[in-house]
Amino acid sequence: MSTMTINGRVEALPDDPDALLIDVVRDQLRLTGTKLVCGAGVCGACTVLVDGAPVASCLMPAQAAAGKSVTSVEGIGAASLHAVQKAFMAHDALQCGFCTPGFIVEAAAFCDRWRATKGTAVPSREEIGAALSGHLCRCGAYDGIFRAVADACAGRFDGNDVAAPRIEARDKVTGAAKYTVDIRHDGQLEGVILRSREAHARITALDLAPARALSGVAAVALLADDRVVRYVGEPIAAVAAKDRKSALAALAAINVTYERLPAVIGLDAGRKDDAPVVFDKASRKRAGNVSEAGGGPAPWKQNVRGPTAAFSQRAGKVRSWVNEARQAGSPLLVEATFRTGTQQHTCLEPHAAVARFVGDRLTVHASSQWVFHLKEQIAKRFKLDHDKVRVIADHVGGGFGSKSSMGVETIAAIELARAAKAPVRVAYDRHEELSVAGYRPAAEVKVALLPSEQGSLKALSVTAHADTGAAINSTIAGLARLIYPAEAKALSDFDVISNLPPGSAFRGPGGPPMAFAVEQAVDEAARRLKVDPIALRKRWDPDPNRQRLYDWAAGLDVWRNRKAGQSGRYRRGVGVATGYWLYLWQPKVKVEVAVRGGRIIASTATQDIGTGTRSVIADAVAREFDLEPHEIEVRIGDSSLPEGPGSGGSRVTASVLPPTLLAIRKLKAAILDQATRKPAPGSNAPWRELIARSADIAVTETRGEDGKNTAPGVRSPLRDAGFIGIIFGWMMRRFSNIVVGAGVPSSVQVIEVEVDTWLGHVRVLNVHTGLAVGKVAAPALAHSQACGSVIQGLGYALYEARELDPISGDVLTAGMEDYRIPGISDTPEINVHFDEAGFDHVLGNSVGIGEVATVPTSPAVANAIHDAIGVRLTEIPIRPDRIIAALKGRTAA
Amino acid sequence: MSAAAAATITAPEFRAAGTDLSERRRSGVSRGPIVDLAATPDTIGITWAADGAARIGALTSIAAIASDARIAQAYPGIAAAAQGLATPQIRQLATLGGNLAQRSRCWYFRNPQIGCLKKGGTDCPARTGNHLYHVAFDLGPCVAPHPSTMAMALLAYDARITTDRRSGLSITDLLGDGSNGTADNLLGSGERIQRIELAAPLAGERALYKRAISRTHAEWPLVEVCVRAVISGGTFEQVDIAAGGIAPVPLRLAACEAALKGKPTDAETVARAAELATSGAKPLPMTGYKLDLLKGLVRDVVERLAG
Repeated sequence: MSTMTINGRVEALPDDPDALLIDVVRDQLRLTGTKLVCGAGVCGACTVLVDGAPVASCLMPAQAAAGKSVTSVEGIGAASLHAVQKAFMAHDALQCGFCTPGFIVEAAAFCDRWRATKGTAVPSREEIGAALSGHLCRCGAYDGIFRAVADACAGRFDGNDVAAPRIEARDKVTGAAKYTVDIRHDGQLEGVILRSREAHARITALDLAPARALSGVAAVALLADDRVVRYVGEPIAAVAAKDRKSALAALAAINVTYERLPAVIGLDAGRKDDAPVVFDKASRKRAGNVSEAGGGPAPWKQNVRGPTAAFSQRAGKVRSWVNEARQAGSPLLVEATFRTGTQQHTCLEPHAAVARFVGDRLTVHASSQWVFHLKEQIAKRFKLDHDKVRVIADHVGGGFGSKSSMGVETIAAIELARAAKAPVRVAYDRHEELSVAGYRPAAEVKVALLPSEQGSLKALSVTAHADTGAAINSTIAGLARLIYPAEAKALSDFDVISNLPPGSAFRGPGGPPMAFAVEQAVDEAARRLKVDPIALRKRWDPDPNRQRLYDWAAGLDVWRNRKAGQSGRYRRGVGVATGYWLYLWQPKVKVEVAVRGGRIIASTATQDIGTGTRSVIADAVAREFDLEPHEIEVRIGDSSLPEGPGSGGSRVTASVLPPTLLAIRKLKAAILDQATRKPAPGSNAPWRELIARSADIAVTETRGEDGKNTAPGVRSPLRDAGFIGIIFGWMMRRFSNIVVGAGVPSSVQVIEVEVDTWLGHVRVLNVHTGLAVGKVAAPALAHSQACGSVIQGLGYALYEARELDPISGDVLTAGMEDYRIPGISDTPEINVHFDEAGFDHVLGNSVGIGEVATVPTSPAVANAIHDAIGVRLTEIPIRPDRIIAALKGRTAA
Repeated sequence: MSAAAAATITAPEFRAAGTDLSERRRSGVSRGPIVDLAATPDTIGITWAADGAARIGALTSIAAIASDARIAQAYPGIAAAAQGLATPQIRQLATLGGNLAQRSRCWYFRNPQIGCLKKGGTDCPARTGNHLYHVAFDLGPCVAPHPSTMAMALLAYDARITTDRRSGLSITDLLGDGSNGTADNLLGSGERIQRIELAAPLAGERALYKRAISRTHAEWPLVEVCVRAVISGGTFEQVDIAAGGIAPVPLRLAACEAALKGKPTDAETVARAAELATSGAKPLPMTGYKLDLLKGLVRDVVERLAG
């Protein structure tokens, strides 16, 4: 038997030639800081040191480690934190934290090598980028990572002191933070899911018996009550076995007989009159939902659902004006068709759930964006008492909208745990994650924009067809109602259903494709009107938050000094774009703030998916009591706590802060009330003394309505949309438990690019992102979110697209080498500007940032490319093949 | 036989570092027995002959080649190719022999549910399906580009390969001409690569390697080029150009080489020669862009080499 030394201990290696180093590290030794993400050596989350050199443990055979010395993240800085760990903490070089251990291992090795040969010289961005090129971060923490690695190499973190703006940062840089995939109960089984091989078929026979008969198999469960499968990968059944290998063998043993039905794949095929119909009338309720909230009724003919056109305004006028302008050959009429790609969430922690029954009580660890709601959904589906179900999510490795409701992984884990009478974990593999775990639907967006002779905005027409797969409820065009008021607007949304996995909500659903189309049309209008693009937006867009951001943007050097008419191989250009998102908050949210044992504890059943919710709460409480954030205990990620909000719709901060502040006020009064000894006069920490001596007191407050007194021009954007807006707002509150508040979170971005006209490569040089999201609750974390949003937006603009087989519907980009998210070296300099006014009517003055900050990135990039090369790129991602085609005036593949 | 079984490789496979094989084991594309290759003094490390010629053992890691100062001096195109492929954590493990013998990166081949020529199937699903990243020189029934960056660089250097059965093989002998769509190389069953031999560098030769990709790092090349040249008195005395990412095997761009050899190194000559890079190309419906990238990349690399 061979052995390796890991973190200083000698450990046996398995004889199985297929055992990989990561299997030994994670499963045998339970060193769960090392993460399995791509399984293909692309993302670096599994990086460990072997004889001092970083390697991909997901590919290295365990036997190859024989006689070698291995260091996992748990062994980095085990005695005292490595300078790189301290630097990551101080620079907030992490968000969800799932990629962080891999980055830490690699960066620590790089830093040690660097220090050994170069002393405290500062490495360049290029050097850091090359060293970390084998790592991917979906949250986009690269800006902080650059700063952290540079400072650690420069010797700025050799001391002992480290302050971290993110309170759980230490757990994330040491690998101690436990995610759902890391949970391991005694006797826990591994569950896997049998999925359809056909895009459209009727299952005529399904024989589970051969799977049940295999050794190591503990349970087999049916997942579908419908015998028709409508996309490749649709779940059919699930198996739990003693390990993944046995479970996969059992899946292979299940006999499925399909009667193939005619299938239709994608947007163009789906809307043909003779296309096979995916959902007949009886089965329409099975369609998924691509929005954050429920939708209204809409016409539905064959595979096309729509138009949803409630947000139109004098639509007939638009059509006649645009027709007249077209016939008259008006040079002011801007008409274009834009296409956006399918964007996968690519959460680094896959969808995962671990279900465990103890008696009639069910505990589910879930990688969830909404633990409280998930508990209610589970209780309803499995007919359990609400107080007998508990959902836990201590740390969540990214969500971006894809983990907002009960997923198949959770249903399967519970079904299997119940059948097997043992705890069961179900964790998607990367192929599942990149094919059936949701996505932002691709869209075709047709725009007609007509300025008046006087230069105002007369008419805007937007027609969007979204490639929603087996789902509905896309809103893209409708979002164009709440920006750029016009004399008339015709806004129509269509879902085009086909035999593809269902789309789902993704960070600002509908916002980025709407902005990609409309913001380019506005840019084009500015060109034709010979008006500066920022000045035109300032003229057409009266929102007070954005008016201030336009002034900021117009004053940027990069904007004022831009040069027109470039030639030569490399051409630079600068573009601007605007984005907005709704200010949403969730009613009934409760926060408990308590003194217990002389310590302040704040609790609510929300979760932190990397957005920094723990720290937002800790910072607010600490500020009010003149304490340090680390002195506050924040309890979240547990559905048994008071009802908390979902991490979606950018609503957590605005839902949680007001009741926290109300509870603090009451708690302060109660503490003072019972205090027998007042603090010494002149004490600089009166609350610390009072709290230390206080009896245990708990105060729970509920999120109340916002103040009615708002600044001029600040009101609910829905009120500008008239009667339909009021109806929409009422429906959101009634059916989705979300309130659309007054004031509009806004972002204006100015981006400079350089285009290599020979190789079709776009390099983003710098990004300036101005944000109006009220008072910034946790500045370092808000900065991280702002940068991460831009980076994800750059991925959407330049790299990311799901590719399919056009006939079978198989997702071909189901691995991370083919589905391309931005790497650290693709990260430009990012300048973040916060305009903190505009939300004085919200207690705490803060609203969410996560969605608005990613909306304008793709059109700003496209406008910059147009500025550079004089050609408008109407389709994203803007890959080299599309740049080449645009330059040659032909159509790309 | 079920579709999944048809899409599976059950023959024994050699494993060097496993950076390619492990992924195919995890996905289920490879299900046969594994034969681990153990390093011997003859199959690992770099040795130098008196005339300055190098021999590289097949189990030498890519990182060792990338960081070898003498390789960088004698064969800068080989060093740059080794530095530019995959990621640091893979280069640390992956071997030169494994890089040459790795399997296709085609997204149909890598999917365990889809059959293809290289998995015993009867046709190429990429040809009629989605071949966005596939060949622009359609030389055979399989349209996946050969994945080996090192093979492409070694082709520019006319390297020779010794296996446990044969010696003196050229890259073309090893990989074929692209007409055999069922395999990624022409090694016999059970035949293993032992070492790679390079001739001593020419006096004054220089070389550059570059790949065209959409991001900055860590991406399979859309197109890649290695150019090796001897330039004297403003004239190309010798030029060798190899290109990858465009054909089922790495290609020498003979028309380009001929248009440069003996010619002045000015930008106009280079630009004209680069236009010939696509001689013999046969793009697929979705891969026409690769021809533009190829011309641009050849022009870029030759221009910088001459500059």
